Amino acid sequence: MSRPIRRTLLASAVASLAVMTLAGCSLAADASSSSDSSANSTVYFGVSAAETGQYAQYGEQFKQAFDLAVEQVNANGGIDGHPVALKYEDSQSDPKQSVTVAQKFVADPDVILVFGDYSSAASIPASPIYTSGKLLQYGFNNSNADFTDKGTDYQWSSSTTTADEYVWEADYIKDQGVDSIGVTYLNTSDWGIPAYDAFKAEADKIGLKITDAEAVDPTSDDYRPSLTKAVAGDPEAFAHLGYGPDSAKLVTQLRAIGYKGTFYGGQDEQSFDETPDAEGSVIPAQFVASNPDEAVQAFVTAFQAKYPDDKDVTSFEAGAYDALNIAVAAAKAGGTTRAGILKGFQEIKDVPSVVYGSVTFDPQTRRILNPQFTPTILKDGTWVTLDK
Amino acid sequence: MLDTLIAGLLRGNVYALGAVGISLVFGVMNVVNFAQFSFFGLGAMLAWFFVVKLELSFWIALPLVLIICALLGLVINISVVRPLAKYLPLAAMLSTYAVSQVLDNASQLAFSAQFRVFPEVLPTGNLHIGNMRIGTSDIVMLAVTAVVMVAMSLFLKYGKTGRAIRATAQDQEAALQMGIPVGPVQNLSFVIASALGGLAGIFFSLYIGVVNPTSGLNIGMTSFVAATLGGLGSLVGAVIGGFVLGIFEAFGIYAFGDAARQIVVFVILIVVLVVRPGGLLGKVPLISTEPLTGTFLGKGRPLRIPRWVWIAAIVVGGVVIPIVGSNYLLTTGTQVLIYAIIAAGFTVTAGQAGVLALGQAGPIAIGAYASAMLSLYAHIPFWFALPLAGVIAAVIASVLASPIWGVKGHYISIATLGLGIAIVAVIQLIVPRAIYDIPVPSIAGIPLSTPLAYYLIDFVVLMLTLLVMWRLRRSHLGRVISSVGSDEVAALASGVRVRDYKALAFAVSAFFAGIGGSLLAHQYTYIDTTIFTMLMSLLVVTIVILGGISLPYGAVVGSIILIGAMELLRFAPEWRIIVYGLVLILVVRFRPGGILVRNS
Repeated sequence: MSRPIRRTLLASAVASLAVMTLAGCSLAADASSSSDSSANSTVYFGVSAAETGQYAQYGEQFKQAFDLAVEQVNANGGIDGHPVALKYEDSQSDPKQSVTVAQKFVADPDVILVFGDYSSAASIPASPIYTSGKLLQYGFNNSNADFTDKGTDYQWSSSTTTADEYVWEADYIKDQGVDSIGVTYLNTSDWGIPAYDAFKAEADKIGLKITDAEAVDPTSDDYRPSLTKAVAGDPEAFAHLGYGPDSAKLVTQLRAIGYKGTFYGGQDEQSFDETPDAEGSVIPAQFVASNPDEAVQAFVTAFQAKYPDDKDVTSFEAGAYDALNIAVAAAKAGGTTRAGILKGFQEIKDVPSVVYGSVTFDPQTRRILNPQFTPTILKDGTWVTLDK
Repeated sequence: MLDTLIAGLLRGNVYALGAVGISLVFGVMNVVNFAQFSFFGLGAMLAWFFVVKLELSFWIALPLVLIICALLGLVINISVVRPLAKYLPLAAMLSTYAVSQVLDNASQLAFSAQFRVFPEVLPTGNLHIGNMRIGTSDIVMLAVTAVVMVAMSLFLKYGKTGRAIRATAQDQEAALQMGIPVGPVQNLSFVIASALGGLAGIFFSLYIGVVNPTSGLNIGMTSFVAATLGGLGSLVGAVIGGFVLGIFEAFGIYAFGDAARQIVVFVILIVVLVVRPGGLLGKVPLISTEPLTGTFLGKGRPLRIPRWVWIAAIVVGGVVIPIVGSNYLLTTGTQVLIYAIIAAGFTVTAGQAGVLALGQAGPIAIGAYASAMLSLYAHIPFWFALPLAGVIAAVIASVLASPIWGVKGHYISIATLGLGIAIVAVIQLIVPRAIYDIPVPSIAGIPLSTPLAYYLIDFVVLMLTLLVMWRLRRSHLGRVISSVGSDEVAALASGVRVRDYKALAFAVSAFFAGIGGSLLAHQYTYIDTTIFTMLMSLLVVTIVILGGISLPYGAVVGSIILIGAMELLRFAPEWRIIVYGLVLILVVRFRPGGILVRNS
């Protein structure tokens, strides 16, 4: 190809890419503005979550549970005859993308509620957009209390807060007759640091001595130097305030440096559950897959039947499964419009739940009333309830 | 003490293996290879797949992984890296970044993003040293590293091909003239490096126990620092760098805590580079080849832009889009505009002064936090906080960066990359909690919080940025800065204080980065440090390189394409990043000097 021709071709290719970008954006928004309001029209919920990027593992788990729940809801007649469907948008849990996703959902009149996002950094910047669009943002997974505290009437969550969880944990540890504890916590503003603040305040109050507390970076791979320091004061037990994958690395290394006390920490998450040294870890849980309750077992069986390669049903899947059922209950109670489902959230009581047994929201805090924690211990890769 | 030393040795071992691969490729091709990071994650996931899913023996899986990584490396080098490395190392670097995105996401599609428990192929806890438990696995790892290193150095010292690799590393053109087949030598180096990457990935997973497709990034980054520390291109240096970094890091964490880990790593790096600008064992050439300068600017074929295009662009951006655009388009537009502001300001550093700084997330974060705190706690209105944020970012970033301007070439990129990460880590220490309820811009008490208002504010700021950039380029000062970038030695010979002008250019860029950070903070109304990642820095660099490295308006085009494409590709969520990477590779392949290039 001669130079001028190639140059022209390239220039036009670039130009058309740019035009496509703009056209694509506006088309995408326009296409959705046509909605039909026939009697059995589909009810849409949006999902803003990470399908790619560093939090993609959670996006995958949510999607599995959502898809199962939608299938079951539709098999049982949907919402008063309206089938339910989900619109997924990948935000990578990046605020740059979660805000555009929020605008996209707000502009789509079919969408009456949005689940997500995963992290605070992606969820909270999107909140003002959902509020001004009068679209309910259901951060079913946001354990950061400020998601709802600093939010408006449109931010709801069925997650427990980190503060509740770690206050409970400090009390529980003390109840076990433990007087001193070594602590590591994630050095993150939206989760680890507030979690540690709550834990420490409660520990000071009840006389649980923290021999040393080390902030650790969730992306670190080697915690041995921090752990050596954290156990130097010979604490009776050890607590790590963190997620699954970092806890898996941490507990392995904690055992490698020869510490033998009980490990309070970890998460119901595949890699942690399968880590050999995680055996015997204790955490407060809401969802326990081994719970003999009929509803829980029905969910676990259905999940494993739908995803035979993924036997591990964790609290992430359970939380998403619950969230969809709660949204459906609210739409049944209040109506299948944005205003209707919001009204539904304020009214619904005792919605059956695989995580909590049943769920009622406090319309003031927009969190659930009286969440109960159950102490659980990891035995043979499965979390089982500990007798108090 | 002993515990920490052992932890440091084990960790240094993995860094050393990774660093050797990076150094090898850099030596023979003068390219910083980001794809190397992906081979860590890929090697680990492949090994997991073979051992756990296919139930192969580890000793069969190991060579299989090495062969697959080696073959992939060959394909990548032939199709992407070599065609560009020959005359534009910078474009090659950008395309290796795209390749790493494709590899990571392909691996995620194949193996899913879940963290997996890596099989315990050898006992990991059967030996004791004091309280510390180590295993046969750790000993074998150390031994394998030693064997690989000895074999490599014998091969490089006495083997015919090995000597050809060294000759190519010393002087490509001379090697070619002496009849050394430089092409195959480069292929071979890339193959060896990729296989070593896979090996390091397996070792790393054996050591830490859990792995997912992206877990190579962190270890890759640190290996990269280790290679730089030892002196890029020096294999012995890479090994020493790996162990030195591992041990110092372990003691640093013991002394200051894991929260300070990244600060410790990059302080070590910067101190070493200030004392020895070529790394511990690297040589500093008298006249170094700067990756960005000189002949680089003339390489691209310019696209001439007629005057009417400018007017049309301003009308479309400033009038048509605000009138007809949906909120979705306007919000996407605000992100495009803010990144365009940051990137346009960055062209002074990257294009004119020829310093490929990789840590712009640092000044962006300073601007965002400064503006948020000024308006929240000192009740300063947004309109004053915005320029103040720029000034604060410029001042702080300049002070922190002041020691590094004597560092040259790729080293300065790594040093600034470190600076960016360290700045964010320091902010996390100073302001541990997230900042909420950052006031939105307002005029006379009326909040300007609609997408249209944000869009218009950002558009005006962008126009001002471009105006400043345009004036700067035409001023005497701008020409002096350009002379530094075009030929540092000639500029120095003409009496230009090169270091000072580089620092000045960086301060200008940091100012606009701070402005961009402030705009982001007031529009998100919430910030925490997880927003200001290395990926953010890389995005800014990618935008600038894609648009044409020294053209402020090119940054606007780059921003439209890179941020717009992410939105445009929403139709294929799982393939989004892969397609994005492929598009980037194609653009770089056909417009290696950037989309809009101007002849110097």
